[in-house]
Amino acid sequence: MKEGQNISGADILLEQIISLGVDTVFGYPGGAIIPVYDKLYDYSDRLRHILVRHEQGAIHAAQGYARVQGRPGFVMVTSGPGATNVITGIADAMIDSTPLVVVAGQVKSDLLGTDAFQETDFIGMTSPISKWSYQIRRPEDIAWAVARAFYIASTGRPGPVVLDFPQDVQRGFAEYHPQVCNFIRSYVAVPEPSDTVLRMAAEMIDTAARPFVVFGQGVILSGAEKELEAFLDKGDIPAGSTLLGLSAVPSANPHLKGMLGMHGNIAPNIMTQNCDLLIAVGMRFDDRVTGNLETYARQARVIHIDIDASEIGKNVPVDLGILGDAKEVLTRLTGLIQGGVRRAWKDEDVKCYEVENSRVIEPEVHPAEGLLNPGEVVAAVAEACGGKAVIVTDVGQNQMLAARYSKFVGSRSFISSGGLGTMGFGLPAAIGAKIGDPGRTVCLFVGDGGLQMTEQELGTMVQEGAGVKIVLLNNNWLGNVRMWQELFFNRRYSFTKMVNPDFGTLAAAYGVDSATVEDRDSLAPAIARMLSDDKPFLLNVHVREETLVLPMIPPGKSVDEILLDRNVFFEYGR
Amino acid sequence: MEDEKLYEITAYTENQVGLLSSIAGIFTRRSMNIEKLLVYPSRIEGIHKFKILTRSSEKLIQAVVLQIEKKVDVVKAFYEVDDERSCREFDFVSNFLKEREEINK
Ligand SMILES: Cc1ncc(C[n+]2csc(CCOP(=O)(O)OP(=O)(O)O)c2C)c(N)n1
Repeated sequence: MKEGQNISGADILLEQIISLGVDTVFGYPGGAIIPVYDKLYDYSDRLRHILVRHEQGAIHAAQGYARVQGRPGFVMVTSGPGATNVITGIADAMIDSTPLVVVAGQVKSDLLGTDAFQETDFIGMTSPISKWSYQIRRPEDIAWAVARAFYIASTGRPGPVVLDFPQDVQRGFAEYHPQVCNFIRSYVAVPEPSDTVLRMAAEMIDTAARPFVVFGQGVILSGAEKELEAFLDKGDIPAGSTLLGLSAVPSANPHLKGMLGMHGNIAPNIMTQNCDLLIAVGMRFDDRVTGNLETYARQARVIHIDIDASEIGKNVPVDLGILGDAKEVLTRLTGLIQGGVRRAWKDEDVKCYEVENSRVIEPEVHPAEGLLNPGEVVAAVAEACGGKAVIVTDVGQNQMLAARYSKFVGSRSFISSGGLGTMGFGLPAAIGAKIGDPGRTVCLFVGDGGLQMTEQELGTMVQEGAGVKIVLLNNNWLGNVRMWQELFFNRRYSFTKMVNPDFGTLAAAYGVDSATVEDRDSLAPAIARMLSDDKPFLLNVHVREETLVLPMIPPGKSVDEILLDRNVFFEYGR
Repeated sequence: MEDEKLYEITAYTENQVGLLSSIAGIFTRRSMNIEKLLVYPSRIEGIHKFKILTRSSEKLIQAVVLQIEKKVDVVKAFYEVDDERSCREFDFVSNFLKEREEINK
C-alpha cells in the first residue's frame, strides 16, 4: 500500500483499482497506455491481466466476467484504434446494463485536439453509449475519478463507465490517498419507493383476477431472485421472463410460464394478452418482447417497477410506476398483498403448452430421423449439464435455441447479448465468465458466423487455460438472416451462405480438443467426452442447414400472432 | 402525429466538460431540432443551467426530459409549454418561412 506517498499516475490507477477490489484486468497494450503497463509488470501478484487478441475480445470478456460476478469488469486499452475497438462492447454493456469500467490511454494533454498520432475524441464518441465518461486531467484527480467510476458503474441501473487517461497524467506524480465514493449529489442511485404507491400497487394486485408478472434482468442485477419467488408464491401469480431475465427463477418453478417475446413460449405471450393486470419487474419493454405496441396488453392495467425513471412509461403506458430497487419493492409488496389462490388462471397455460409441445418442441428436440436439429443439440447439452452450467450464447438462431432449450437451477446462469445483439460476443464473453466463475461449467452456443467474428480469442482461451465448452451449431449459413429471408423475403438468399473452414483443424491449431458430430448416435458420447474434464473443447455439430426457430412472432405483429410453422398461426382455444 | 407544441426544458447540472454534447446527443438520436439553447451559471453556486427550446409532443418531451435527468451530472430537469409570446413569435416566423417557400415553388 502506497498510501500518502508521492507516486506516479499509473501507480495511483493500479493502487486505486486494487483498493476497490479489482483483481482481474482485461486488456491490450499500446503506446498511449504503456506507462500503466510498465507498472502493471510489478503488480502481477495482485492483478491478473488477461491478454486478449483484439480489444473487442477484452470488453466482451469483461462483460461475461461482470455478469457472473455481479461486480464491474475492468478493461484497459490504448488510445485511437484500441479505444475504438471497444466501442461495440460499451454500447452492448449500456443497453444490457452491465457494469464495466473502461480505461483508455490518450495522447499527452498538450497534443489533445491536434490530430496527434492515435488521438480520437473518445469521450465524444462514448458519451451517448456510456453511463458516464470522463477525461482525467491531473494526477491528483485519478483516485477520485476511479472511485467515482466504479460507484457509477455498479450502482442504480448498472452500466459502462469510460475514463480517458492522457499519457502525461499517467507519468505525472501526486500524493496517493485511497478514495471511496458512495455519494454523488446529482445522482440518485437507488430511489426510495413511497408507501402510498406501494399500497396502491398492493390494492391493484389484490383486486386483480388474472395478474401476470413479466420480469427481466433487473431482478438479477438487484439480487431479488428469492424475493420474486416469494412474491409469486404469496400471490399465486404466473410469470414470464425476458431473454436476459432467464435463470433468475429456476426453470422448474411452477409459476414460471417460460420466455417472453419473438421466439419465446406461447403461454407467456398469450397470457400477456389475457391478463387483467400486468406487473413488470426490472425490464424495459423491448420491441422484441412487446411486438406491436398498439395492441400490447391493451386490456390490462399496468404496474411497472424499475430503478430507472426514464424507462417507466417510455414504451408502454403505465397505470402505476414504482421507482425503486426490485429487491426492496418486491419485499415490501409481498408484505402488503393478500395471499391469493388463482389456480384456474394459472392453469390457462396448459393448452398453450400442449400445442407448443406437440407442434414445436417435440419435433425439434426428438425428431424421428434425419439430420440433427440445433434445438436437439441444445437440449442434449442442457440435460447433460443438469441445469448447473453457465450458458453463454452468441447471436442468431443459436441464441434463441439456447434460450428456449436450456434449463436453469440457479441465477446468473445465462449470458447473452440481448439489446444490441452483437455477433462475436459469445466466445470472449464465455472466456470472461469462466475466469469469473471458474468452478462452474461454462457452455457456449455459437453459430459458424458469430464464431468467426471473434475466433481469434481461442488464443486467449488457451493462454489463460479457460476451459470453455464451445458448442458450434454449424449450419453453413448466417442462419437467422437466412430464416428471415425465407419467411419474409421470398427465399432470396442474398449473401447468407458461408464457405467455412474446417473448425476441427482450427481448434487443433490452437491445441484445443474437438469432436465433429454429424449424426444422432454420436452426439451423446461426444457431449460426455466434452464434459469429462475442465479443459477447453470445441464440439462442432453439423446441424440441419435450413431450419426455423419456432414459434415466432413476426416483426411488428401483435404478441398473440404466433407462427407455429411456415404460414401456420397459433389459434387460441383450439 | 400527436399534438406538437413548443416546449422549454430547464436542466440544472454540474459544470462538467462534455455535458453539452452529451445532452445534445439525446436530441440528435431522435432527430429532434433544438430551436434555442442557452447554458449559463445558475444562481446556485457551482451549478449550471441549460435552457432548451424544442418542438415536440408531450409524450416525447417527457421521455427526453427523463433521459436528460438520467445523465449522472444532471441534477434536475423540467419542462413546460413555452410561453404564449415566444410561441406566437415562433409560429409567426415559421409561417413566414412557409410562405416564402410557397413563393419559391
Ligand atoms: C455484429 C453483427 N453483425 C450482423 C448481425 C446481424 N445478424 C443477426 S443474426 C445473424 C446470423 C448469424 O449467423 P450465425 O452466427 O451462423 O448463427 P445462426 O443464426 O446460424 O445460429 C446476423 C448476420 C449482428 N447481429 N451482429
